[in-house]
Amino acid sequence: MVTLLVGLMSLQLGPDPGILVERRLAEALNLSVGDAVEVEALGEGGSARQFGVEGIFERPPDPNRISRNEYEVRFHLPDLEAMLGEGDRVDRFAVTLDPGADADSVARWVESLAFGTQVYGAASLAERSSSTFTVISRFHDAIGIVTLLASGIFLLCLMVIRVDERRSDIRTMRLVGISRSTIVRAVVLEAVAIAAVGSVLGIFLGALLSWGVNAYYAAYYDTTLRFAIVTPELITLALLLGVTLGIGAGALAALRLVRVPPQRLGER
Amino acid sequence: MIVLTSLRALVRRRSRTLLALGGIAVSAALLLNMTMLASGLTSSFGELTRAQGYALRVTPLGTLPFDSEAGIGDAAATEAAIEAVRGVAAVAPVLGAQLYAVAGGSVGEPVFASGIDPDEQMLYLLVSGSDPRPDEVVASEPMAEAFDLEVGDSILLAAELDVALGAPRDVVSFRISGIADFIYNYAGERSVALELSRLQVMTNRPDEVSLFAVAATPGIDEDSLATRITAATTDLSVYSTRELMAAMDQRLAYFRQLSTILGTIALAVATLLVGTIVTLGVRERFGEIATLRAIGVRASRVRLAIVVEGFALTAAGSAIGLPLGLWISGRLDRILLSFPGIPERVSFFVMEPLPAALALFTMTAIGALVGILPASRALRAPLGAMLREEAD
Repeated sequence: MVTLLVGLMSLQLGPDPGILVERRLAEALNLSVGDAVEVEALGEGGSARQFGVEGIFERPPDPNRISRNEYEVRFHLPDLEAMLGEGDRVDRFAVTLDPGADADSVARWVESLAFGTQVYGAASLAERSSSTFTVISRFHDAIGIVTLLASGIFLLCLMVIRVDERRSDIRTMRLVGISRSTIVRAVVLEAVAIAAVGSVLGIFLGALLSWGVNAYYAAYYDTTLRFAIVTPELITLALLLGVTLGIGAGALAALRLVRVPPQRLGER
Repeated sequence: MIVLTSLRALVRRRSRTLLALGGIAVSAALLLNMTMLASGLTSSFGELTRAQGYALRVTPLGTLPFDSEAGIGDAAATEAAIEAVRGVAAVAPVLGAQLYAVAGGSVGEPVFASGIDPDEQMLYLLVSGSDPRPDEVVASEPMAEAFDLEVGDSILLAAELDVALGAPRDVVSFRISGIADFIYNYAGERSVALELSRLQVMTNRPDEVSLFAVAATPGIDEDSLATRITAATTDLSVYSTRELMAAMDQRLAYFRQLSTILGTIALAVATLLVGTIVTLGVRERFGEIATLRAIGVRASRVRLAIVVEGFALTAAGSAIGLPLGLWISGRLDRILLSFPGIPERVSFFVMEPLPAALALFTMTAIGALVGILPASRALRAPLGAMLREEAD
């Protein structure tokens, strides 16, 4: 990564070497194709050099670079080498293999040929570069567990109150011979229904929030990256968790009451 | 008396009260965590920046410290210019570079090397030994452990690898002068510090540094000093700790915004929970409230009793949520500190008394206010109907 100072110099395209300028930088400097710009490598001790804008490009939506959110410029390699005073030197090569070539053997061959190089396959490179997001994902999971705990307690509390409200009904049912298991099933069903409706509403709310979050960050970072997505797997997970919580909360609330002899259910 | 009756109702309905307290405690803990996260890393980073007394950083224009490979040329002249600025107590130059440790002819993992002025440095705290002199290095504790190094041992370091010959180029032997705790290192980072001039020669970057750390004389305003240094130099960015923290804040906007969203959700969950509990509690005590109204108890006293009930619930829940939040923040911090490149000494969650107290106060206040609505409904309902309902 090098830091360059780019400045608008004139509006005439001369016989200067060309560069590509990222759309956001072009907008910030009011540049368009054909303009000339002066570019200087900071700290290299060199002087500014003139380039012609050959094109404007949109940077790929790369989550790895979103927090720095720096402007980008693309040079022809020899031009950048000349500016940095580092001839015949690159940071990395991207290699495309022939169909059927074994990536591992190619990697081993390159590493043995060029001492000090490291070769990564696309998958391992993606894994290494996504370590930040693995951490964020673990953090979100942890927050999810805390939220689940809070909502579980909330649901249990709600069910305890609802069951408590119907103590006299339950006493009557028990006295006329309705079994404990029937009462437990009824309460569990009610809890599952509440949890399911809550989960569905939550999914809609989540989708709305995701839309809001994406709209906000799209404007904040000027990016097409999506920060929050609601997938079918997530919806299924939310429903499953909701129903499971409902079963747990309903069962606990009902068991608490059916253990009490019906004669004592009327007591406050 | 009325208030006490209301509070006794909470004790009477023990199970639901305990559950409500649990729910509020978890919500309060989450709110506290998000409050701590909102400014935690930034303020923790601010403290780290000030470590060793060097509160300002001078970097290549437009970059944060070690943000890019850009360096500051004419380092000696620039250092002299900075030292001449009124209010500057000390200037510590730092050059960052990558070296390779050579053992038995083979090259290990790259090692981060810092070129420093041993008399003016802010990167490490010596654990044993002394600062590096010519042909000496100070090694970080993980580095010493990995290479089984002790003070007085030797280590071979190379700045470049010869790709064609398959060997490190210009290998130099250094004596380990000290083992140190490098305060900006991430967990397990292998690094060394050596004399600036030696590293400049090894990396072929004569008279170049990556940054200057500047210590201000006591009583000097850092922001004005930063302005004066900017005026005295060219093509450099000068950051006071406050500006550096603001820049970090910009970088960590995601966490700040996430904490705002999750904090709001925690507050909403707690409001709903307390609202539900108090509303249902009031609904259950309609008869009691009707009787109180019938015997002439003032509406304001009944309303106060219900508000106190909500307040007591949330205050107790928040009190439980405080230690719970601190415990959870420790766990979450451990997760986030596994971010690559994050200094081991910073913390994502920092307990700042004022924001934390404000967050818990807001939660308690909302818990109290949420009772007003059901209380008003109970006080507006027709007395006769309420009494008949209770009799039924």
